[in-house]
Amino acid sequence: MNPILEIKNLKTRFYTQDGVVKAVNDVSYTMSSGEILGVVGESGCGKSVHALSMMQLIPDPPGKITNGEIWFDGRDLLTLNEDQMQKVRGRDIAMIFQDPMTSLNPVFTVGFQIVEALLLHNDMTKEEAKERASDLLNLVGIPGAKQRLNDYPHQFSGGMRQRAMIAMGLSCEPRLLIADEPTTALDVTIQAQIIDLVKKLQDELGMAIMWITHDLGVVAELAHTINVMYAGSIIETGKIRNIYKQTRHPYTIGLLGSLPRLDDSPGTELVSIPGLPPDLVALPEGCPFAARCGYRIDQCLTEKPPLVEIDGENHSVACWRWEEIAGMGTK
Amino acid sequence: MAKINPEEITVTDFAVREHRSLWGDAWRRLISSNTARLGMFIVVLFVSSSTLSHYFWKYEPKKDLDYSLKLKAPNLIITEEIPSTHLFGTDKLGRDIFRRVVHGGWNSLRVGIVAVSISLFFGGAVGLMSGFYETVTMTMVERLILFGTTGFLLGFLSAWIANQYFQLVLYTGLGLAAGYYQDLFKGKFLRMVTFSILGAFFSAVPGLFISPTVALICGLWGLFTGVLLSRPLDGKFFSNVMMRLMDIVLSFPGYLLAIAIVAFLGPGLGKGMIAIGVVGIPVYARLTRSVVLAIIHKEYILAAQSVGESHGRIIFRHVTPNILSPIIVQTTMGLASAILSAAALGFLGLGAIPPEPEWGAMLGESYRYLTSGAWWAVLFPGLAIMLSVLGFNLLGDGLRDALDPKLRT
Repeated sequence: MNPILEIKNLKTRFYTQDGVVKAVNDVSYTMSSGEILGVVGESGCGKSVHALSMMQLIPDPPGKITNGEIWFDGRDLLTLNEDQMQKVRGRDIAMIFQDPMTSLNPVFTVGFQIVEALLLHNDMTKEEAKERASDLLNLVGIPGAKQRLNDYPHQFSGGMRQRAMIAMGLSCEPRLLIADEPTTALDVTIQAQIIDLVKKLQDELGMAIMWITHDLGVVAELAHTINVMYAGSIIETGKIRNIYKQTRHPYTIGLLGSLPRLDDSPGTELVSIPGLPPDLVALPEGCPFAARCGYRIDQCLTEKPPLVEIDGENHSVACWRWEEIAGMGTK
Repeated sequence: MAKINPEEITVTDFAVREHRSLWGDAWRRLISSNTARLGMFIVVLFVSSSTLSHYFWKYEPKKDLDYSLKLKAPNLIITEEIPSTHLFGTDKLGRDIFRRVVHGGWNSLRVGIVAVSISLFFGGAVGLMSGFYETVTMTMVERLILFGTTGFLLGFLSAWIANQYFQLVLYTGLGLAAGYYQDLFKGKFLRMVTFSILGAFFSAVPGLFISPTVALICGLWGLFTGVLLSRPLDGKFFSNVMMRLMDIVLSFPGYLLAIAIVAFLGPGLGKGMIAIGVVGIPVYARLTRSVVLAIIHKEYILAAQSVGESHGRIIFRHVTPNILSPIIVQTTMGLASAILSAAALGFLGLGAIPPEPEWGAMLGESYRYLTSGAWWAVLFPGLAIMLSVLGFNLLGDGLRDALDPKLRT
């Protein structure tokens, strides 16, 4: 598969009153077309910020992309100016946001907003756009799509709003869809429906999807590849089976260990990773995870481990002791 | 029972609610409140009476004079002594107060409406733009406008000193160049040097034709302008400059500034409108900017950006409708205070020029006769001011409740 997106050494900083927040630190990876990439990590690890950096939608000031290249479709997005970016957004890369309650404009009907997105990048009349909008709502499984176009967002439920957002995102058939925690605000049944929907749409339309979440359960069902992020860096990346079966980074091990399991006996306490993620203003010199890591050695505190590939299958880990951890076997 | 043909309707027809618009909803809520209805009644009464009287009940204030009817109390019955009815009595020149109050409404309300329009237009534009561009990257055209206007405005000083208004073109050109060649020597000291020398050159050389001193001053100003323009000015800069300007205006007491502006422009109704309007600009600018800032990080704005909508479209389609309700409320309340300000200026003799009827001016002409028992000459214009202000305030209150999206069901 040919790469659709290649990020090299992306760095994003926020210049705040408390100091420079190093939100994204040297993130590099590639995505193939038609791939579903899961980006996981806890709150504030730079998942969303790196996606917003790709769209160049970081609030500036205080934010700034200080370094890096984002190659998409033979162009480095970071060299494009605002006018050119407006043509990329929506048409080539679309984005779905976390909170379906606020991502639709409350003063316009849902139909108006989808039609608007359609008219922006496509050469069609208003009637055609309306027709297409109701097709899209049908596609994402909203019953009575035609009448529903005239509804305001507050007349939709959370799941329906998220579906409408997905319809908006799909409206111009982007080659890359960035979904920023689209199911976090929804309950589990709706979540499952949305995941099925995305899977189905990906089969039909074949675009690449970047699925940002903190829920390892969701990506396990959906993604082909996973990037695990911690404190603004990718610390482990690989095919989904490698990440789940041959986990090498202590943080990923901790994350997987903290998931509740169906075969746990009732009353078992959930395992959690001790401590808190480091302050992004004052990142430690060595491995950012060292302070919370049970496998810590002296080297971890002084040198930051590079992301190295450990097998022929693009499974890479940023840990000094991955070989020993592999020897121990995951619990 | 009507027969239902199953082929004609889809199942979902039952489930879908009737289409209700935002404004329709707000209107329904507005008229369901008693106080808002009262406010609306007063406002409609005043606006229609003054408009209708202006067009259909001719009144020539310059010819209205009858000393034989001087300071007569309100009467309804025609007598030998008073051959006409005077519902509100007459004033010191024997003029019918009812007529003057009704006609005065035309002037007072007009001042209020025009003044508020001035404040709303300029304040709203400044607030919208400074709020929006505070964190949004500008496109090339927007940057050119910002740099061009900055150059143009700064050029005024130099052009004025040298009395050479073609310098404005040079300054604007320098600004446009600095905006267009954003990446020329980016981040280097050389950039500042280049533009400051260019600026100094552009203003000093034409200045030399006047005198060396002028050339020196203009050159220094050009140098400063060049230094400023060499920096990467952005929306934050615009916002900061605008808000500090608004702070300056706001730091003067409102009436004092209005009086100062009228003193500068000269008395008259039109001048009064401008004065009250200018004083009101910061209120709207700050309000608009604050509500824009409050919604600019909402995800629907981010979503609009992420489908690739242009900035103008986002500002007018997505930002403006969402900030409209506080601004409508402020405008209605602002009308009340503008009417009050107009009356105050009129009272001081700085608004309408006598004998033009205006509520404030009528109070100012008649309050001296209170001691001689002529209460009607003061009471009725005063009541008119009070009622119109009350009406607009009640309407504003009602609108605030009606437009609150949290109450939408």
